[in-house]
Amino acid sequence: MMKNRTGRKAIPAIAAGLLSSSLLLSGCIEVNDGDEITQTKSSGDSGNSGTVDTCEAGGSTSGFTFPCDAIFVAPDAQQGDDITEALLVALFEIPQNAVVVLPKGEFTVSETITINSASGVVLTGHGIEATKLDFSNSTGDDSIRFEGGTNLTIRDFGVYESNKNAIKVTNASGVHFAYTATVWEGPLESDNGAYGLYPLQSQNVLLENNYAAGSADAGIYVGQSRDVVIRDNVAVRNVAGIEVENTINADVYNNMATGNTAGILVFDLPGLTNAYGGNVRVFNNTAYANNAPNVGAGAVGIAPPGTGILVFATSDVEIYNNDITDNETTAIAIASYLLADDDLANYPSKYGQAMTNGWTPLVRNVYAHNNFIARNGTNPQGSLLVDIINGYTSPYNASGMAQVFPAILYDGVGELLANAGQLVAFQDFIPAGSQAEADGVSYQPYGQEDQICANDNVNGNPATSYDDVNTGQVFGTDPLDPNNWNAGFTAPVPSLLIEPMIGSSLLNCAHNRLPPSTASINGVVYGCTGDDLSEAACAL
Amino acid sequence: MSNSKFSNPARKALVFAIAVSALAACDVDIGKDGLTINKDDDVNYVPGTPDEPSETADCGGTRSGVNWGALLSENCPKLSDYNLFADSSDPTRNPNTGGIPYDLSTPLFTDYASKYRFVFIPEGEKATYSEHEAFDFPVGTVLVKTFAMPADTANRGENETIIETRLLIHRDNGWVARPYYWDSEADASLAIAGKSVENMTTQHNGQTLTFTYAVPKASSCTSCHSVVPLLQGSEDQRQPIFKPIGPKARYLNKDFDYEGYNRNQLAYWEEQGVLEGLPESMSEVSQAPLFSNAQDPALLAPEALHDAAKAYLDINCAHCHRSELTLPEPLYAGPAGSSGLQMEYNREYADDPTRFGACKIPVAGGSPDYPLGDVVPGAAEESYLLFRMNTTDPRHKMPELGRSVIHQEGVALIREWINQLPDAACSP
Repeated sequence: MMKNRTGRKAIPAIAAGLLSSSLLLSGCIEVNDGDEITQTKSSGDSGNSGTVDTCEAGGSTSGFTFPCDAIFVAPDAQQGDDITEALLVALFEIPQNAVVVLPKGEFTVSETITINSASGVVLTGHGIEATKLDFSNSTGDDSIRFEGGTNLTIRDFGVYESNKNAIKVTNASGVHFAYTATVWEGPLESDNGAYGLYPLQSQNVLLENNYAAGSADAGIYVGQSRDVVIRDNVAVRNVAGIEVENTINADVYNNMATGNTAGILVFDLPGLTNAYGGNVRVFNNTAYANNAPNVGAGAVGIAPPGTGILVFATSDVEIYNNDITDNETTAIAIASYLLADDDLANYPSKYGQAMTNGWTPLVRNVYAHNNFIARNGTNPQGSLLVDIINGYTSPYNASGMAQVFPAILYDGVGELLANAGQLVAFQDFIPAGSQAEADGVSYQPYGQEDQICANDNVNGNPATSYDDVNTGQVFGTDPLDPNNWNAGFTAPVPSLLIEPMIGSSLLNCAHNRLPPSTASINGVVYGCTGDDLSEAACAL
Repeated sequence: MSNSKFSNPARKALVFAIAVSALAACDVDIGKDGLTINKDDDVNYVPGTPDEPSETADCGGTRSGVNWGALLSENCPKLSDYNLFADSSDPTRNPNTGGIPYDLSTPLFTDYASKYRFVFIPEGEKATYSEHEAFDFPVGTVLVKTFAMPADTANRGENETIIETRLLIHRDNGWVARPYYWDSEADASLAIAGKSVENMTTQHNGQTLTFTYAVPKASSCTSCHSVVPLLQGSEDQRQPIFKPIGPKARYLNKDFDYEGYNRNQLAYWEEQGVLEGLPESMSEVSQAPLFSNAQDPALLAPEALHDAAKAYLDINCAHCHRSELTLPEPLYAGPAGSSGLQMEYNREYADDPTRFGACKIPVAGGSPDYPLGDVVPGAAEESYLLFRMNTTDPRHKMPELGRSVIHQEGVALIREWINQLPDAACSP
């Protein structure tokens, strides 16, 4: 336990002047709602004139100007000081629209910092490199946790070595993360913390210009949320670089994910309050060399090392104009939940409630186009894919020859079973008149609009290995094709289809484009139809 | 470090109406390092309405009864300012008028501390009974819980060190939590930033436990005491709601010794005129079993074991791990309901074992050593939930707050329960 270094300060007589008249009457320090926490810059020339508008409170390296009435936490703290107490007191029952400024330098924090139901609050440092909070000696689990709240801004500082999650925001409306780093230094190990930037069950979420490194789960994770924009972030050396889970309406663009186990993931997991996600666009990102071993546990533990972009059981996803290179397993993997759990007989007992709420193991309407795909598949890995890898890298696949592992891979088994009518009994799980029904959640055979499509992707391999960029489909999806079944037509059999990506007959279809998503925070609309109208990526 | 944010000119601006006597009355400590957040430290609070009437804002002074006015409006520096107990140095007995002691059949585990609970309800007011949820207490109610560490857990009530007293106060705008740390034997001080008490020890089953006891900071209280909105779209700006946890019918429905008068607590509250809506027939009132560290779970009949485990999981976990279920506010859930683990006592295990973690893969967190699920029926040692109860590693431990040592008997109960659960798909 870090000993707090704050020495008890002698109270000079003049300190009594800090007490207002009502404090004197009450004999109490008040920390009530609506109370004002005052701050006056020490270099101000006049403390009693009220001319605060001429102050120079400074700003962050990213250009955020601190307002005159900002609350400066431990402004005189020395490098390495433990500022826990000052932080706790500054953030307790914090007034509406307060701007709280963390000191410049590197400091330790020894407990979880919790901020409840804050409204319009900005928690800022002096810059992503200028203010670093080290939680390596914390006794808490999460480092910073916002619970509830509206229009929260978190910016311009770094959180290091969290025991569990770095910055978690739950059940908030309006969340803006900018120029914020969450870092576990050193090698990626299973006892690094969990999520870095972690908005959960929130709405109107904007994450931009952040840096997430070293998470043993997801560096940037948005879960069970809606109306989300994730742009211009860098995720390095995490298990999952950027993960969007059970989230409705998300745009993920202009991000860089490299050195992770898997770069960008779009997941729908069973059993969560927000049962399913969808309408997720992943575009103009760079997913480069995501080949780290998977040291993760739980759901993320299934992500195959060497994956650029992974869509898992989420429908209505568009993946386009991404640069996906040097991922050793595959550039884009699109899979139903059946790839992880094919025990259909036990689905009702295991996932019945989730299915009633609209989760399905199926993946429909995923459209991957105009991606630049180069030098992937050179060393496919992942326990989830062992049999598939063995098939494609030996003659035991549809081509009869060992192949470079597909750069675009689709499992197809859920579609095959749906097309064969073998899942219609699950249709009864979806209550008539439910939102899930309205959203088109279904176990019926796939129509044209449900198909998984990949076209107009660019083969970026050098000429010598140009033919090594393949599209693969583990199971054929035609229920009438005997090649897709065992002798009794009772169990699907993988065909391990594979063709060169350019000119492939597999996944050869196109879809309507998905609508953009935006996040509205403090009345400002962020995203392609908001502040990014002129952003090149938004015109793709 | 010197952390005053106030420049000298600023100080001068604020120097007015100083009463020297008030300085002594306001020598407030709300920190954890010797409780040293003083008025001249980092943050200075200035009330927005300096002309507030004084009679509702008076922490000090002498009086005979509970200081209801201060409770409603003031965060007094000393616990004694509220005058809750006849002897202000003893928060374990003799509440002033309006206070009733109570306990819970299955309590939250807090490092083997003894707990002394009182409810103070303003005269003429009543709490309203609820079948499954915490009672609806009137504004002005104070729930007071004092934590004391016995020298030996075998002899509770003797040789105990009083550590902290937590107040949940129902104010006009909702509940607030105010922790008080006993920094002297005479009184406790408001500890907004909490307090780490190092080298706390107690003897338990002949074993000496030494640990750092954490008095929670005020902002931590919401982590367990809130239910959170399941937001429905941009127009939905609802905020978390703060709630008491313990005073539910199922935990209060037991006898209590009111200084020789042995009576069911709910019946007593009704007799005392502080509870309305209690069903005529007590058989309609839910009842959680009595938890005892001395009980060997292996000796419980299957139904009793299941009941004991569900009550234990409810009081220790379900304040966070709960869904909407019977919450009176629509579209609210526990803060960790989103994890999919939802273990309310009034939820049937058989309806959906996944909610109790059976074969459920952890969504956030997880450990490579526990790949099969939170709860692996029949295989406690492979269950991530049991591991989390059985560790003090902050990355994994559950509950997240308020526990620095392992509750060995709680772990034993849940271990036995998991081992006796009917096999499920993930069972080995």
